[in-house]
Amino acid sequence: MAAVATVSSASGILAMLQEPAEELKLHALASLNSVVHLFYPEISTSIPTIESLYEDEEFDQRQLAALVVSKVFYYLGELNDSLSYALGAGPLFDVSEDSDYAHALLAKALDEYASFKTRASKATEEEENVDPRLETIVERMLEKCILDGKYQQAMGMAVECRRLDKLEEAIVQCDNIHGALSYCINLSHQYVSHREYRCEVLRCLVKIYQTLPHPDYLSICQCLMFLGEPETVANILDTLLSGSKDDALLAYQIAFDLVENENQAFLLNVKNRLDARTPAQSNPDSGSALPGDQTANLGTTSTEPAGDVQMGDDTTTANGNAHPVDPNETVHADRLSKIKGILSGEKSIQLTLQFLYTHNRSDLLILKTIKQAVEMRNSVCHSATICSNAIMHAGTTVDTFLRENLEWLSRATNWAKFSATAGLGVIHRGHLQQGRALMAPYLPQSGAVGGGSPYSEGGALYALGLIHANHGEGIKQFLRESLRNTSAEVIQHGACLGLGLASLGTADEEVYEDIKNVLYTDSAVAGEAAGIGMGLLMVGTASEKASEMLAYAHDTQHEKIIRGLALGIALTVYGREEEADTLIEQMTRDQDPILRYGGMYALALAYRGTANNKAIHQLLHFAVSDVSDDVRRTAVMALGFVLYNEPEQTPRIVSLLSESYNPHVRYGAALAVGISCAGTGLSDAISLLEPLTSDVVDFVRQGALIAMAMVMIQTNESFDSRVGTFRRQLEKIILDKHEDTMSKMGAILASGILDAGGRNVTIKLLSRNKHDKLTAVIGLAVFSQFWYWYPLLYFISLAFSPTAIIGLNSDLELPKFEFVSHAKPSLFEYPKPTTTQTTTSAVKLPTAILSTYAKAKSRAKKDAESKANLEKTTEAESKANQEKATDAESKTSGEKTPEDVSGSTSAKAAKSQEDGDAMQVDSTAEKKAPEPEPTFQILANPARVLPAQEKFIKFIEDSRYVPVRPAPSGFILLRDTQPTEPEELVLTDAPATVVSSTGNAAAAAGQPAAMAVDDEPQPPQPFEYNTL
Amino acid sequence: MDPKLVEVTQLFARFKAAYARNDLDVCANLLSQLKVLLTKFPSLPPSFQQTPNAVEELTTARDIYEHAVVLSVKMEDQDAFERDFCQLKPYYMDTCGIIPPSPEEYPILGLNLLRLLVQNRIAEFHTELELLPAKALENLCIKHAVELEQSFMEGAYNRVLTARQAVPHETYVYFMDLLAKTVRDEIAGCSEKGYDFLSISDAKQMFMFSSDQELQQYIAEEHPEWDVKNGSVFFQKVKESQPCKEIPAAPVITQTLGYARELERIV
Repeated sequence: MAAVATVSSASGILAMLQEPAEELKLHALASLNSVVHLFYPEISTSIPTIESLYEDEEFDQRQLAALVVSKVFYYLGELNDSLSYALGAGPLFDVSEDSDYAHALLAKALDEYASFKTRASKATEEEENVDPRLETIVERMLEKCILDGKYQQAMGMAVECRRLDKLEEAIVQCDNIHGALSYCINLSHQYVSHREYRCEVLRCLVKIYQTLPHPDYLSICQCLMFLGEPETVANILDTLLSGSKDDALLAYQIAFDLVENENQAFLLNVKNRLDARTPAQSNPDSGSALPGDQTANLGTTSTEPAGDVQMGDDTTTANGNAHPVDPNETVHADRLSKIKGILSGEKSIQLTLQFLYTHNRSDLLILKTIKQAVEMRNSVCHSATICSNAIMHAGTTVDTFLRENLEWLSRATNWAKFSATAGLGVIHRGHLQQGRALMAPYLPQSGAVGGGSPYSEGGALYALGLIHANHGEGIKQFLRESLRNTSAEVIQHGACLGLGLASLGTADEEVYEDIKNVLYTDSAVAGEAAGIGMGLLMVGTASEKASEMLAYAHDTQHEKIIRGLALGIALTVYGREEEADTLIEQMTRDQDPILRYGGMYALALAYRGTANNKAIHQLLHFAVSDVSDDVRRTAVMALGFVLYNEPEQTPRIVSLLSESYNPHVRYGAALAVGISCAGTGLSDAISLLEPLTSDVVDFVRQGALIAMAMVMIQTNESFDSRVGTFRRQLEKIILDKHEDTMSKMGAILASGILDAGGRNVTIKLLSRNKHDKLTAVIGLAVFSQFWYWYPLLYFISLAFSPTAIIGLNSDLELPKFEFVSHAKPSLFEYPKPTTTQTTTSAVKLPTAILSTYAKAKSRAKKDAESKANLEKTTEAESKANQEKATDAESKTSGEKTPEDVSGSTSAKAAKSQEDGDAMQVDSTAEKKAPEPEPTFQILANPARVLPAQEKFIKFIEDSRYVPVRPAPSGFILLRDTQPTEPEELVLTDAPATVVSSTGNAAAAAGQPAAMAVDDEPQPPQPFEYNTL
Repeated sequence: MDPKLVEVTQLFARFKAAYARNDLDVCANLLSQLKVLLTKFPSLPPSFQQTPNAVEELTTARDIYEHAVVLSVKMEDQDAFERDFCQLKPYYMDTCGIIPPSPEEYPILGLNLLRLLVQNRIAEFHTELELLPAKALENLCIKHAVELEQSFMEGAYNRVLTARQAVPHETYVYFMDLLAKTVRDEIAGCSEKGYDFLSISDAKQMFMFSSDQELQQYIAEEHPEWDVKNGSVFFQKVKESQPCKEIPAAPVITQTLGYARELERIV
């Protein structure tokens, strides 16, 4: 009795199934159902018997039979059969059962249902013949999830199964609707790969949002932007603007967030709608006057030195007050004009410019080293150096280096000159008001024949495009005129690029016609730029212009034009995902390798940042199977674009390719990692790139160096020690006389990228809200063309975004405001300014001691100490007093904060008073930190905050200003909790006011160059190098 | 005592009475009622719940099924035999330690072996044999079946046929008769392969028939395709099996080359 008996075989029960009596069959089935997990192998041989029971109409436990069969099939791994019988089992199949069987089948049912729904949505003719039983199961499951409070699961399933009705139900019933909604938005971006459907989901979400009592306008507007509904956004903004002060702040914040996504066409639309609305709502007088003034300001400031947006605002509001109108409306109009300033991008560009200018920490010594190491006659390295300088100072308006080396600069001839002039555009990027004045000396002079070289004129037009990239309303007209008035292909080249940049994605028909005319002249040089320009103009519109371009690409003989067009076509399908498939198919099947190459770009851009499996699959296929090296290289590189939303994946995916025998594939792998992991400092990426930087093939080294710089941008040595190694490697390559030109160029550019934008920018392809940054992606795509055409290097500046937190009050000014970064300051500080070692080794080159020195160095590498001493002495001989003082200062101050050190070295600049003030603000904030490496740091508005640092940022709780949106990056609107007290503003306004003053001064061109720069973003003039 | 058990016992008593009277129809009828009643007992396989009456219930159930098996032999119903035996088997295999072994166990197991032999299911025969403990092989009933199988395999068909006289249990007779037919089928199969034709007398001896009529009848029933003419039996030649399939050379070669090329590209 004690022994517990167990069944050892199901044969007895199976035999019972054969019994004639119904009750016995029933009993057998019930028993089988309970032991099926143990005896499925035995039962499987009797499945036909059980099946026949199920099919027997008169048998009253058919469902039980179906359940048993289903279970057996499940254990045999035949999920399809299992599912179809489970459906037959009807209510006996228990969705809430906690067993492997139930789980597996439910998953299967969901998959089945989801894939069915997906298919049904594609081909409408096979209408809704989904198995109702399947539907019932899925619905039962969704309801259960909702009942159990597993809302996220329910939402996920509903999205997957395309049941928006259930999605809505789940969200509405959820106790945390806001959380649920933001979860859904994330979900739709990450997991919904079908674009149209994603739109549907978002539309549904917006609908729910709008029904809420306290809608989250920030998220709604992000969704609406994705959906491309400017009207609704304009409505929301307008409503908010008419509301309380806090609402207005929120509206500003929304506007800044929208601007961050860089969708110019959309922003323009919103702005126009707001314009259209104004006269109707507010007093026609002030209403129409305001926007009129405003736009006039924007339009003319580029020529009039007086223009400063801030100033303009003040005067117009003053005007508005003079009218006897309702104060509410004045307030509203005032707010409206402010928000239009933001939406036009002016405000954020202006603030960014201020930030980059005041925080510029670029290290001129590095450039000096490069300049001296590079051979005079080597034009490639020469223009690489100029480019490097441009990148280092991108957006800072600091052109000291150029001014100091005018004679050296004048060696740039022909296309090098074109590039050099374009470089100015990068340096002054975003200097919207002064841009045209700055470039004036180089621009084609109307009337004056033979004013300057066509190269510098073309370059200047290109530069204007770079300055106004994606915000080109003001400059577009001028560029068009320049394009029409010239027949020189170099100028046309510059103008096409410039126009493309300035009117990025606006799909302006007139501009398109202008560029098309250039294309049809069939000149190789101009045609290439025209192709790219058309692409830029039509970015992401998927217009049928693409087929027109494709047709011409087939007609023309010029490879350059084909290439330009191929890239252009690729640009037009930016972000269109499936919609682009036909075009991609057409291009990738083409005979011409250049068009296939364009097809790779089309794949890359259409599926940018989606990590779409199909696209990856296709690219990998081309990467290993195409006959053309160019196509293979591009295919691998394109992986970088497809994967940039999941940078951790890229090194893994391309790791095999990076060991390919084909150098083009290796090169592509390097850039793919560079692009997708840009600015992350990802350890895997660095490990993958490291061996490639010493590859046997020169251009692979070049690609790897550039990619490495892109990955490491803004990481310092205490974050990853390999950054230091890499910097030393770059220096070595640059100084090595026997190094190939190609890799030398790579190293020079890499040094530039590493310290880009005065060490205050990073490469960011995703905005904070995980939307892709159109300009940045386009910038990198065109940049990667530098393989064929060096001037395109400058497109990388489009990808730079400042790493800053800039807090603004309701007047869009910078109040004094502090917040804490809970991390060791050393982790995120600026890299140390180049050490004395660098300076002296650079200086040493010409001296006689050098050779013995170099030997000593090679013999005993490690006695840095003694060397440092010796160096000091050599330095004393060779260096200017000023610099020595600087050096001594940095030596003595030793443990001083990095802000201070770099402040004193980099700036001879720090002489301007305002600037000095700004510095003090920073350094006082810094000094609050105690000496032994503190674990936190207090940062003052505006502050440099690296992406990796963002998670450590905390806002101080009882501070006077409270951020509208707690996300710690970019522009943050601050709510003033003590509105009655006078506000204390940060003095960074200084540069802006100086703009106007120096703007006047600019007319008198006699100022010594260095001084002028010290003062501020200095307009045109002094160094016109060599006008031919 | 549990009323259900009482009911079963009473019904079983009636069954036994009918069985003794050799009233097979009544038996079958009662038996199916009994089986339905048995499903109500939770202590029976496959659940084996430990109820207070488990031992009685199990013993009764086993008894019923043993009778069912024997009954099916009597009714010469092989399907029913298999069904009942399968249901009986768990009582033998899985109830050790709960109820004492049944005296009928070995005869019935032997009977089952014999059935498998008759149905020429040799593989299953050996599987069953393997499941038996070593000492079971000593049992007369089991030994009988094993020896039969050995003779059968050796081709000593005469020994198989003569063994009918020495059955250990009266129920075995039915199967022994069937076995003779199985043996003849086996011989027929071999002859077909081995000879083009056989003279009637040889064939009669081979098939161990005592008269020509018996042979004629057998051929007419089982192998109508054979020809009996000129005093001989002509076997229909089994058609030549198809020539071995061609190797699809071309596709294999292209595929292999394709792989090689892909490999080269990838590396």
